[in-house]
Amino acid sequence: MPEIRVTPLGAGQDVGRSCILVSIAGKNVMLDCGMHMGFNDDRRFPDFSYITQNGRLTDFLDCVIISHFHLDHCGALPYFSEMVGYDGPIYMTHPTQAICPILLEDYRKIAVDKKGEANFFTSQMIKDCMKKVVAVHLHQTVQVDDELEIKAYYAGHVLGAAMFQIKVGSESVVYTGDYNMTPDRHLGAAWIDKCRPNLLITESTYATTIRDSKRCRERDFLKKVHETVERGGKVLIPVFALGRAQELCILLETFWERMNLKVPIYFSTGLTEKANHYYKLFIPWTNQKIRKTFVQRNMFEFKHIKAFDRAFADNPGPMVVFATPGMLHAGQSLQIFRKWAGNEKNMVIMPGYCVQGTVGHKILSGQRKLEMEGRQVLEVKMQVEYMSFSAHADAKGIMQLVGQAEPESVLLVHGEAKKMEFLKQKIEQELRRQPGGRRGAHLGSMEATWAEAFSSWGPGVSCYMPANGETVTLPTSPSIPVGISLGLLKREMAQGLLPEAKKPRLLHGTLIMKDSNFRLVSSEQALKELGLAEHQLRFTCRVHLHDTRKEQEMALRVYSHLKSVLKDHCVQHLPDGSVTVESILIQAAAPSEDPGTKVLLVSWTYQDEELGSFLTSLLKKGLPQAPS
Amino acid sequence: MDPEEDWLVESLRLYEDFYAFDLSGATRVLEWIDDKGVFVAGYESLKKNEILHLKLPLRLSVKENKGLFPERDFKVRHGGFSDRSIFDLKHVPHTRLLVTSGLPGCYLQVWQVAEDSDVIKAVSTIGVHEKEESLWPRVAVFTSMAPRVLHGARLRSLQVVDLESRKTTYTSDVSDSEELSSLQVLDADTFAFCCASGQLGLVDTRQKWAPLENRSPGPGSGGERWCAEVGSRGQGPGPSIASLGSDGRLCLLDPRDLCHPVSSVQCPVSIPSPDPELLRVTWAPSLKNCLAISGFDGTVQVYDATSWNGTQSQVEPLFTHRGHVFLDGNGMDPAPLVTTHTWHPCRPRTLLSATNDASLHVWDWVDLCAPC
Repeated sequence: MPEIRVTPLGAGQDVGRSCILVSIAGKNVMLDCGMHMGFNDDRRFPDFSYITQNGRLTDFLDCVIISHFHLDHCGALPYFSEMVGYDGPIYMTHPTQAICPILLEDYRKIAVDKKGEANFFTSQMIKDCMKKVVAVHLHQTVQVDDELEIKAYYAGHVLGAAMFQIKVGSESVVYTGDYNMTPDRHLGAAWIDKCRPNLLITESTYATTIRDSKRCRERDFLKKVHETVERGGKVLIPVFALGRAQELCILLETFWERMNLKVPIYFSTGLTEKANHYYKLFIPWTNQKIRKTFVQRNMFEFKHIKAFDRAFADNPGPMVVFATPGMLHAGQSLQIFRKWAGNEKNMVIMPGYCVQGTVGHKILSGQRKLEMEGRQVLEVKMQVEYMSFSAHADAKGIMQLVGQAEPESVLLVHGEAKKMEFLKQKIEQELRRQPGGRRGAHLGSMEATWAEAFSSWGPGVSCYMPANGETVTLPTSPSIPVGISLGLLKREMAQGLLPEAKKPRLLHGTLIMKDSNFRLVSSEQALKELGLAEHQLRFTCRVHLHDTRKEQEMALRVYSHLKSVLKDHCVQHLPDGSVTVESILIQAAAPSEDPGTKVLLVSWTYQDEELGSFLTSLLKKGLPQAPS
Repeated sequence: MDPEEDWLVESLRLYEDFYAFDLSGATRVLEWIDDKGVFVAGYESLKKNEILHLKLPLRLSVKENKGLFPERDFKVRHGGFSDRSIFDLKHVPHTRLLVTSGLPGCYLQVWQVAEDSDVIKAVSTIGVHEKEESLWPRVAVFTSMAPRVLHGARLRSLQVVDLESRKTTYTSDVSDSEELSSLQVLDADTFAFCCASGQLGLVDTRQKWAPLENRSPGPGSGGERWCAEVGSRGQGPGPSIASLGSDGRLCLLDPRDLCHPVSSVQCPVSIPSPDPELLRVTWAPSLKNCLAISGFDGTVQVYDATSWNGTQSQVEPLFTHRGHVFLDGNGMDPAPLVTTHTWHPCRPRTLLSATNDASLHVWDWVDLCAPC
């Protein structure tokens, strides 16, 4: 049976380091190539030795697909392509292609410059890696080769995030990457059509959560900012150039406007232009509301948010500042942090994960005394708030996606199977609720029969939860549509037996495979179409009998014998002395050596094999004694 | 102006903390297990309902350094399926067992929450004598070395059953067919009951059936439906029983004299209640003389009963939670209805509330009247 094999790579069950290997109909695809942010050594990379022990990765893998720009999905890409070695195509969406290298470079700087790591990829490697990228549009079918095609679907979550369908013939797999089923201020909800893949691969991390609404998270953010500025404090929000920053700015701007607040809000220099540029390029990726706003005005020209100047950090009184970089590891945000950290009226809001080794990571771990350059100790008295705005689908969201795509099976990565029995049951219930998929080969009226036959073989499990490094093998039943010629069907019907939906029926014919077309026709028609002559096969057997009479008399006696025995068949005595039974010919001959022995030559065609064999055995038993 | 946005801005002032969740199915049950988890259960008919054990978001459970915990999500720790609607669920303390009651079929279901996996499995049933199509027995649990289940749909079918041996250890032994609306265990030997008619009673199981009760037809002579809750002993002096009627009347009673309420007020609620079975009144575990009521509409109202005395025509709530109306209802027809609410066992002003459109809110309200 053809099968689909899936192996999540790497060790450990934590989130991070998404990297999944899929084998489908002989094609090998790698889905994402993430870095595990919690480790400093080789454990942060996926274990690529699983892919192939010997042989080049380029030869083994048909392509690599990256779902979005978060480092736990693309962080190991330059290492994989330039240090381990892969020269094949890397597919991703346009925004991902534009943003990935920026984040990779940022990360590289932290690892090498800040932490002094040695065996890390270089800036040149990032550039070389990106040269192998082939960017795709949403809903565009991309032919990787003759047989393998991929298609990207909108995933929400972050700008440019996509879910991918990987298809070979009639077998397909959909990989969701990270996605979100509820629209927010700047991104829409994930959407996929009823593509009915054999397998849907998704994260299990959030499958067991029920997410707090986006509104409440935003409310929490506004409340913290408002309370701080109300008491005269300053709020520092370290951000990356793209993504969260714009969203939070829109939020604050709206709030400031409504509340008629006068406290200044600043945005790091350079951020505005970059963000503007990227968002303009990727308008189709944002949601309806943003698109409308863009038409009305430039969304990054805020009334209440102004460009920041270094000197402002020393101004007295409350203010809010968005500054880069996002993990407080260098640059402007770190500078401002150092100035404001000593005052408990102030607050720093970290909107995302911080890599180990950064100041951001230290303060989020609860450290209140930091060692800075020159052995200076910085005492952190300001309030530290860790907020999570990332949009992930939760248990409800996963069910919604399963309902949209209607997969045959679901595979969850990054979960502990033993602990997720309830979730598995829930998903399997949802899968069963869906109308029966395309199981078995379609053969006209026999479809129902085949479907039943296949489902009784089918796997009992429809929801898989492999551990990292474990391979799941999914048997598939590819459907091969075969057209039957009308003539053949008519002939079968003429046999008199009516087709029964529950009983399989054997049909003989010739299968003609032309281009990607399969047809079942009668042998005669096949021969005709192919311009071939039909070969006739004739068998001849000699039956020796002890008989002293003459041949003609023998032939007559054979005729009467067979006539009396074979009452259902047409037995004839021809003028030339031979006897026929249907198409079988029996002739009596006398070999010259022995007048007491006669030979019966029995000959029949391949079609009358059964009758021919029967006659031969019958005649071998001898002829009955003639009445006198 | 977007009413939802407006309310959210208002909420900055009204709530310390506010969380809003969308369950996959509406619940009428909110049952605590220690102070870090709650059980919810679906009540739809003709569908597989889920029982879920939800762990509170870390941000709500941690006591210090809240700011360093970004997690605001519930974690589904355990789950199970039920073919019946579940209207009541009680956890048997110090065990991994749950008892549920629902329809169709008049019996109690006992469940086990697995230790090494995330499954809640049905393990046995407890038969009930009253076999009525539309009534479901109320349930309460006596905690002790050998847990006992108190159940009944009507006064005459009240029973206490030992969970392990399934032996009946106590019966009401009366022919009174009054329908029960709530049962509450008070300590190892006593329990309280409230009938739909408003009749209240306190029963000591060490004696044959002889409850302290208000025998009078009760305040519910106009066809209203009543429910009640007894506050814990640590309430302090004053009445500790609250009784709520579907006409919006709230009576406070002293257990020593159930026939004469200490105070009786009219709550400003929209009457009649669309589904009087959903009425709920609860005492705040950590705030003196504070009560919460729900079941009339999409709001939960909190009252301070400290100054209540005698019969008062109108009282004003200390706080009204309108989140369900603005966030979930949002002008849509029909407006949501709160199915149940509960107080957090430790955090003084934190409540959980659920509605019939599957939303679940966790809110920590600000006492605007408190001195700064």
